[in-house]
Formats: sequence, C-alpha cells, structure tokens
Amino acid sequence: MATVSSHTPELTSESSSSHSAEASLIDASLRTPVMVLTGSALVWLLIASVLGIVSAWQLHTPSFLDSCEFVTHGRIQPAQSNAFIYGWGINAALAVSLWLMARLSRGVLPGSGVLLLGAVFWNLGVTVGVAGIILGFSTSIEWLEIPGFASPLLLVAYALIASWSLVVFRAGRSQEIYASQWYLFAALFWFPWIYSIAQVMVVFSPVRGTVQSVVHAWFSSNLFLLWFASIALAAIYYFLPKLLLKPVSNYYLASLSFWWLVIFGSWSGISRLIGGPVPAWVQTVGAAASFMLVVPLVILAMNFYGTLSGRWSALKESVTLRFIAVGILALTLVLVASVLTSIHGVAALTQFTFVTTSQAQLGLYGFFSMVVFGALYYIVPRVLATSWASAPLANLHFWASALGVTLLVGSLAVGGLTQGKLLADASVAFTDVTKATLPYLFSAVVALVVLAIGQLAFALNFFWTLSRASAPAVRSVRVLLAAQSEATR
Amino acid sequence: MNRAPIIFLGVFCALAFSFVGLVLTNQLTYGAFTTHVDEDEGKAFPLQSPGLAAQGKLVYQDLGCVSCHSQQVRREGFGSDIGEHSRGWGERQSVARDYLREERVLLGSLRVGPDLRNLASRKNADGAEFTADWLYRYLYDPKLVVADSSMPRYAFLFKKQQIVGQPSAKALKLPEAHAPAAGFEVVPTARAEALVAYLQSLKDTYAYPETKNVYTPPAPKKTEEKKEGHK
Repeated sequence: MATVSSHTPELTSESSSSHSAEASLIDASLRTPVMVLTGSALVWLLIASVLGIVSAWQLHTPSFLDSCEFVTHGRIQPAQSNAFIYGWGINAALAVSLWLMARLSRGVLPGSGVLLLGAVFWNLGVTVGVAGIILGFSTSIEWLEIPGFASPLLLVAYALIASWSLVVFRAGRSQEIYASQWYLFAALFWFPWIYSIAQVMVVFSPVRGTVQSVVHAWFSSNLFLLWFASIALAAIYYFLPKLLLKPVSNYYLASLSFWWLVIFGSWSGISRLIGGPVPAWVQTVGAAASFMLVVPLVILAMNFYGTLSGRWSALKESVTLRFIAVGILALTLVLVASVLTSIHGVAALTQFTFVTTSQAQLGLYGFFSMVVFGALYYIVPRVLATSWASAPLANLHFWASALGVTLLVGSLAVGGLTQGKLLADASVAFTDVTKATLPYLFSAVVALVVLAIGQLAFALNFFWTLSRASAPAVRSVRVLLAAQSEATR
Repeated sequence: MNRAPIIFLGVFCALAFSFVGLVLTNQLTYGAFTTHVDEDEGKAFPLQSPGLAAQGKLVYQDLGCVSCHSQQVRREGFGSDIGEHSRGWGERQSVARDYLREERVLLGSLRVGPDLRNLASRKNADGAEFTADWLYRYLYDPKLVVADSSMPRYAFLFKKQQIVGQPSAKALKLPEAHAPAAGFEVVPTARAEALVAYLQSLKDTYAYPETKNVYTPPAPKKTEEKKEGHK
C-alpha cells in the first residue's frame, strides 16, 4: 500500500529527465522553504475546513454553539474565510510560485534564511489575525477582517518571501520569459499593492463614506483575479504542456489574454456594487469591464482545452492533470459567472444571496485550490526526492475534492437562486425564504464534510511522505534502490 | 531577461490604470462629498449618531453581524427592497451621502437576515415599531418574538441577576417558560444597550436633493395608455 504503482509516473521524482541534474539541484535548494510553506498551508486548510463545517452548520441550525460568543457564526465565518485565504491560499500560492519561479528561470535558491523568516512571520501574523477575529477584534470588512495589529506583520512577511522569489528570478540562467512567469511576476508585485492600499484606505485611515466600498470591491476582486487566479494560471501554463508533452495550443494568444485580463479584468470586480450607493458610472464601468472578460475567457479556453483535446486519456494516469482539468473547468465557469452576474437583471436576483458565496467557492476552491493541489502532487515528491507515500490516498483526495466542490458550488448556486427569487417576491415572508434555503444549506454541509475527508487524506499523505523523506537512512536506501533499478533498465 | 523590464513596466501600468481610474478618481471626486446643510432645519445631514449608538456599532462589528445582514437599500427594479408591493426596507434607496459620517461602511454581501439600513423607521411583522424592549427580547431569544426566526440567540449579551429591592426597570419581560427562577431577573449588559441604541439609530429618512426625481423604470401598463392616446 505504501508504494506507488509504476504507471503513475508523476507521483515519483524524475530521475531520468534530460535536465535532471540541474532540476534536482534546484529542487534540493528549495526543499526547506517549500516544505515549510506547504506544511503550514495544509495545517491552515484543515483548520479552515473545521471552521467551515461549523459555520455552515450554524447557517442551517442557528442555535448551534450560540451560547459562547467566541464561536458564534459572526466570528467563525470570518475566521474561516481568513484562515482559508491567508493561511491556506497564500502559503500554498507562495510555495507553488517559488518552485515555479526557480524551475522556469533555472535559478538555484541562494540560501533560504530570509524565506524561512518570512514564512514564520506570515504564519504568526495569520495566527494572531484569526485569533483576533475569534476574540472580537474583527474589522468587519469582508476578506480584510484580520485586525490592524496583525496585518502589518503580514505585509513585512510577504515582502521577505516575495523579494526572495525575485532574487531567484534574477539568479536564474534562463533567457526566455514564459507565460507562467508573466503571471507569477505580476501576482507577486500586485498583492502588496492592493493589500496595502486596502489596509490604508479602509482599515487604518478610512476614506469617506462609500469610497470605502469602492476600494474594498477593487481589493477583493483583484485579490482573486490578480493573485489567486494569476498564480493558478501560471501553474496551468507550466504543467499542462509539461505533463502532456506538447506545446500549449494557440500559445501566441496567451500574451493577449494576460494583458487583457490585467488591464480590463482589474476593473471588473467593481460590478458587485451594481445598484449600490456609489456613482452610476462606477457601476456601468464595472459591468462593461466584466463583459470584456469574455476575451480572456475565450483565449484561455482555446489555450487549455485546445492543449487537452485528444489527450483526455492522460487524465487517467496523472493525478496532477486531473486536478488541473477540474480547475480549468471551474475557471471557465467562474469567468462565465462574473460576466452573467454583472448584467442588471441577473444581479438584481443574485446579489446578497448564496450565489455570491457559491461564486467565491468556485473560484477559490474549484479553481485555485484544485490547481494548487495538482501542482503540489508534482512538486512535493521532487523537492523531497522521494515518491508519495500512498497513491490510494491521493485518489481519495481527488475524488472527494471533485465531488465535494461540485456539490458545494451546485447546492449554494441553486439555493441562492431560490433565495433570490423568493426575496424578490414581497408576498413571501422573510422567514419562509430562509426555510426554503435549508435543504440547500444542509447539502452544503455534506459537501464540506466530503471536502474535509479529501483534505485530511492529502494532509496525511503529505506528512507521511515528509516523515519518510526526512528519515535519512530510509532515504539513502531508496536512492540506492532507485539507482539499481535505473541500472537494470 | 531583456524583456523583463518591459513586462514589469506593463504590469505596473496595468494595475496603475485601475488604481487611478477607480480608487483615486473616486477618492478625489466624491470622496470630498460633504454633508447637506438644511437651512430650514438648521442641521447638517446625515446627522451625527449619538455616542451610545457609535459604541453599539463597535459591538455590531465585533460580533460579525455583517456576515448575515446587509445595510443597503437598493433602488426600485432591484429585488423588492422598496416601492409598492415590496418588503418596505426603506422609504427610498440608499445614496452615498447616507454613509458620509460612518467611519466603517458595512454594506454587507449576504442577506441571510433582513437588511437593517432603515430598521428604526420600519414596522415589524405585527405592524409595530422596533422598540428597545422588542429588540432586547429578540436578541435574547429570537424565537420568543418571531417564531420562525433563523437568528441565533445572543443571550450572552444579557445577565441574570438576583433582584435586590425593587426589580430593575430594564429587566426583560419574558414568558413563563423562559423566565428565570423566582427572585432573579434578566437584564441587558452595557454591550446589549449599546447595540440596541445603534440599531435604533439606523434610519435614512431625510430626502436629499439626489434622492428626489430618481428615474424609476416605467410600469408595463404605460404602453396601453399610449395606444389609447394614439387613437
């Protein structure tokens, strides 16, 4: 059970590829920081999924844990989203982007002290922040709830980690700049910009009135599009051609979609304020920018589905590809959803309903997390120079995640549409609207439990692999065996 | 490596474009928006909320009420917030000036519970106003007041104390089954009092110039009238 069957090539480290000497040197230099970032990301993922189940169950059964103020829904829900975004999301995104950056620019990491310090500070900041929310210091601003005493720590930690990624880029020997690198480069630079602007203009010295809402909408939509989506797109552009052993279809269009996404996409999130107390031109511009997302949507679809077409059988063999394929599908859906929900008639129905929650889950879980899971299945064994401890656990993780996210997004979307329809009909009492959503909220809880099972399988597999790899005696035997099998081939 | 500076410049300009266009432009234009001074009333609207209500807003924030409650009344044509056959969540749509004095704007993104922007000017399901007494009992145990309520209890905002001498004037009037033991009473804590003061301060009833003459989509009946006119 503990060994991986031979027909799952990407679950083992590549000892026979052409660049193997250089690649394994790069991987070895990344070992400690990538493991620290991934390990802490996984711990946060598990914390977030427990909080998520509690928070979802509270929506279904409001009396659950309502006697203690620290575990009420109003505290648990923001604690969950911040643990997920800053704990899991950003740690994992940094791990993946560091590895991709080093591999693509062919640079060996010159020491990892600064990175480790950054990782420690980051996790300290998230811990203080999430604890602060639970204890009642939340700022009450969605995705920015982390109190003001923790967020500067996050910025400092981020600066340490991201600047080191750029050092790797500079240290590299590669002359070409590949699509993945545009996205990585841009995302690393954008996050501190949007995060510090949001902190200053909304948290520390709040601007007047609903300008705050504009800044906040700009921040949160760009946190998804320019950070999470960019890192995931970088990973897709890297892994898709690498695992399918063929170039990206219509690659010449990739740069157009990149620039289109960053120039117009960064305006699109403002459309969530449609109908709100902000100037009419802001709402109109937001809707127009959201519509323009059709262009990158078409190009990304041509790039990704074009590359995958005719090679669907490869999905059976590779866990990484399977995760990424689900991520690509979710990306398509999330872009379509952003276009649709910026239409006046649709927004009137979906605004303030579980449809918005569903959309956020589709983007953060269905797209970003799935792609990152896929990437980690490739990265971890290479960095550790070993193979995954268990293939069945990896399969369990995939199926639980795919089923869970489909059920979660589906039930929240249908429940949200029901809710929106009933809310628009004033003859339906408000309490009846809530009652009508209960079955959907229940299936969302089931979905979250299924997702948690998958995440537990992943975390087990990861820490098992890590503990095996860190036992030096075991490792040297493994290397010997690998060398032997190499020789007999 | 040669193209790196160009990409960097492009990446910088791309975000600068939306930063200047959305964040800075709005900050420089309507970020300088001022209160509306009403000569007749001799007051500047929106009014400054009382101190206790400001404290209550902090309680609202720390309890995360915004997770389930929005504070934004949408104009006609968006759901059934206002107008005829609506939920009557306000007398008019919310406008930017309503939020001018608020240090933290809590528009919210989900309506698991009803919108609260105009709570103090609304009537509850029984047609009565949301009195402090009603709100206290609702926070203590929502099901006491609204049988089907899906809000959790905020009983921790209240304390049970022994009656010494006269019963407290603030003591909650609870039904028999929920009443504390004889000789005891349930009273709101300072946080509950602040929170209720805040909820009772939520009222956007003043008609600003920009809230008058707002375009509302014509009712479908209009077309028939036109036809008659042609005849």
